[in-house]
Amino acid sequence: MYDFNFAPVFASFDTLLVGAWLTIQMSTVAMVIGLVLSILGAVGKTSGPKPVRIAINVYIEIIRNTPFLVQLYFFFFALPALGVRLGPNQAALLALVVNFGAYGTEIVRAGVASVGRGHIEAAKTVGLNFFQTLRYVILKPAMRAVYPALTSQFIYLMLASSVVSVISATDLAAAGNDLQSQTFASFEVYIVITAMYFVMSLAFSGVFALIGKLAFSYPLNR
Amino acid sequence: MKIKLLNILKVTLAAAALSSAATLPAAAAELADIQAANTIKVGVLIDFPPYGILNENNEPDGYDATVAKTLADDLGVELNLIPVTGPNRIPFLLSGQVDILVSSLAISPARAEKVDFSNPYAAIRIGVMGQADLDITSAADLAGVSVAVARASGQDTTITEIAPETTEIRRFDDDVSAVQALLSGQVQTIGASNTVMAQIRQIAPGRFDEKFTLNQFRLAIAVSPDAPELLAYVNEFLAGVTASGALNEAHMQWLDEPLPSFNE
Repeated sequence: MYDFNFAPVFASFDTLLVGAWLTIQMSTVAMVIGLVLSILGAVGKTSGPKPVRIAINVYIEIIRNTPFLVQLYFFFFALPALGVRLGPNQAALLALVVNFGAYGTEIVRAGVASVGRGHIEAAKTVGLNFFQTLRYVILKPAMRAVYPALTSQFIYLMLASSVVSVISATDLAAAGNDLQSQTFASFEVYIVITAMYFVMSLAFSGVFALIGKLAFSYPLNR
Repeated sequence: MKIKLLNILKVTLAAAALSSAATLPAAAAELADIQAANTIKVGVLIDFPPYGILNENNEPDGYDATVAKTLADDLGVELNLIPVTGPNRIPFLLSGQVDILVSSLAISPARAEKVDFSNPYAAIRIGVMGQADLDITSAADLAGVSVAVARASGQDTTITEIAPETTEIRRFDDDVSAVQALLSGQVQTIGASNTVMAQIRQIAPGRFDEKFTLNQFRLAIAVSPDAPELLAYVNEFLAGVTASGALNEAHMQWLDEPLPSFNE
């Protein structure tokens, strides 16, 4: 039977915390930028001119039909050939945003499609302009309808970020791999970082539940 | 809500405990187990040419696989080559997923605490290679310079130890990614073995040159600490094939040079 020895893992626990913090930062920034990208994508796809709709469709199909790992390699290894040199953490963030944008666009678009035509016609009738209609009549109920799907995609983004260590980004999985290679306490390291990812997922879920409560509980408290 | 969450947590923990109990490692096989099973499961690298590669039939091949095949023939059992990677090879051995590692594993004191090493069966020189216009002749010159290494490799350990604080060590999962990072200009230098450096020279002639030598590593076959008889058998086998010249022949076949001397 394997003898578990967590001592070397906890002796270097601070390196794991540094990695976890980078994972949290990278995921949060990717979620925020990715959400903006998704909303722009959804609006463009539903009400943009034809060339924009085609461009967005091409983007979605390319991203959703290729592995994230390959996209990551592209941003890190292929972009320098085009003269754009990103550090590993920046390339990882860009890949996460671009990847999330494709899935998020489809999710938000589904929400927009769920808004009844009559609501939009009513908004026009009462004299709301395009942006007012978009914000109050379309996006708000649309986001409420797809919020659960969006948050699970956010959690998936955070978990998927664990592969960015392949381009030498310094996230939690990379810190775990480094520690594993120094201590050879592989089971212990993986158990600990699994628990850390689990806790981080729960924490993100909690924050999302709170945001959902504050932003989408109307009209109950209005 | 509170109770519900607690329940979910309990179920999750129970599931985790169950699955870990199911997958956790039986001890690795001893010589008698291998003979009884009539098969030896050998962990080999497939991303470390010419020691470990995939051949045109998509099967593991290379110097390590040749040594493994000779060993299996010597034992008179079937050979089952199992691909492993640099970071996961020792966990594979300790969890009993392979019986033995012939995976270009360099002897090091830290590794020797986890696995038992045989006598060496090959040696690799590792060094730092970098862009030709960089003026680097020693580890001290690496200050402020980015170095790509394969995570958990010998060059990773050595460079981490001797490089100045300001050296930016970028760890990749394998040599292929590290070389790609060098070729695409993401890093200025790479810590790599003589064989990888030869490949880089071939792919991009003149762009990079070898700056300095880091170390020579003696590679050994590794067995689980629970298998002293297997270790004794492997050492006897190695002495035999070294004396007969079979090991040197395999080395000539894959590396185009005779077996280096291990006694340094």
